[in-house]
Amino acid sequence: VAGSPSTPPELAQKVTESIKQAEETCAGDPEGGECVAAWDEVEELSAAASHARDRKKEHSDPLEEFCEDNPETDECRTYDS
Amino acid sequence: MAFCSPHTTASLRSPCTTIPNSGFRQNQVILFTTRSSRRSNTRHGARTFQVSCAVEQPIVIGLAADSGCGKSTFMRRLTSVFGGAAEPPKGGNPDSNTLISDTTTVICLDDYHSLDRTGRKEKGVTALDPKANDFDLMYEQVKAIKEGKAIEKPIYNHVTGLLDPAELIQPPKIFVIEGLHPMYDERVRELLDFSIYLDISNEVKFAWKIQRDMAERGHSLESIKASIEARKPDFDAFIDPQKQYADAVIEVLPTQLIPDDNEGKVLRVKLIMKEGIKFFNPVYLFDEGSTINWIPCGRKLTCSYPGIKFSYGPDTYFGQEVSVLEMDGQFDRLDELIYVESHLSNLSTKFYGEVTQQMLKHADFPGSNNGTGLFQTIVGLKIRDLYEQIIAERAGVPAEAAKV
Repeated sequence: VAGSPSTPPELAQKVTESIKQAEETCAGDPEGGECVAAWDEVEELSAAASHARDRKKEHSDPLEEFCEDNPETDECRTYDS
Repeated sequence: MAFCSPHTTASLRSPCTTIPNSGFRQNQVILFTTRSSRRSNTRHGARTFQVSCAVEQPIVIGLAADSGCGKSTFMRRLTSVFGGAAEPPKGGNPDSNTLISDTTTVICLDDYHSLDRTGRKEKGVTALDPKANDFDLMYEQVKAIKEGKAIEKPIYNHVTGLLDPAELIQPPKIFVIEGLHPMYDERVRELLDFSIYLDISNEVKFAWKIQRDMAERGHSLESIKASIEARKPDFDAFIDPQKQYADAVIEVLPTQLIPDDNEGKVLRVKLIMKEGIKFFNPVYLFDEGSTINWIPCGRKLTCSYPGIKFSYGPDTYFGQEVSVLEMDGQFDRLDELIYVESHLSNLSTKFYGEVTQQMLKHADFPGSNNGTGLFQTIVGLKIRDLYEQIIAERAGVPAEAAKV
């Protein structure tokens, strides 16, 4: 299984790369600004990945999704009165 | 307050309603200068007017928190109190950070980064560093919105790490700026009608980020720890000190009901409310100003392990008078929440049970079974109350002046 299934693959790859890069940068100079900035990038991308997953979760109901595009079909029609 | 500049008065959707007693046509531009001139008009039996420039001057709210600390959940609870769902601007940049609902527009302050991701790496600074942010532009644009003007705000793209072309933001009724630095710059701070700081303790932050990131490929316990550790000096230097300026602080700590709990599932949450803020009356438990510990579980209410414990009392926070309401533990069932709500006062609800109803509406949001959800909802109601009082005051001032 390749990581969390719901993170967009492009973003998931960016997260992985940023972690690798941060670890490499910090191996040389663990206190320097470059190291700190690299880990900050990891945090930013992880947060973006988490938001992307949340956004996907909002559209997790297959019927809801279908009805957004096809409101006139039998299974989607709703009348207020 | 009483000044309506000619260009706003002349615009179609005028923010100023003019109620002339006689003589004036509806479209006529009316300029008021001083109260004395108006009084003399009345005295001479000429005309009296009521002018209110209320609706299109937004109230501005600041929300500060670190990334991954539940700002977006808070925002969804807040917009829900005002009714309607918050959505990204239609037809614009798909990576826009803005959320718009009928009454509320929420912008993310990351959009005011002066350095993009590459720029920060070259200079060796984090996004937490003030050097990576353009506070001049932030001030100018928040000020413009507060004056009722639309702005062209840049977009920081969190996926690419680049600054995208700007988007047009119209002044809403309630304008929320959320991010790392809403109270950092003194000029921006002065513009805020209300400010909130989400203060997540290190233990809980760590537990939350593990929940968020562990499933992600590449992340390990070490990488999550390293990322938190690396950002901590900048966080302590630039973000954390802002909490002294907040009107309300929501502090999230590990529970004290379970010894040595590190899971971050059961939480002790404090709502710290500043005293003496205009239009903001802190919530209290049973008796205002007393110190009270309350365990609602007993004959009237069954709670499962580890139970619920409330505390309330006056305190000082950065040398200022505050009231603190604390909840430790979590709810299992609705009866508990309505039972708790009935013992809290000054909630600014419009009907009995509104807090419970709001919480039920979003039972799937994180924190709905503990103090984070409860206190976020209460702060949402407090902001609605504040908004209504400010609007009432703005509308009331000219009417009052006319009576003089």
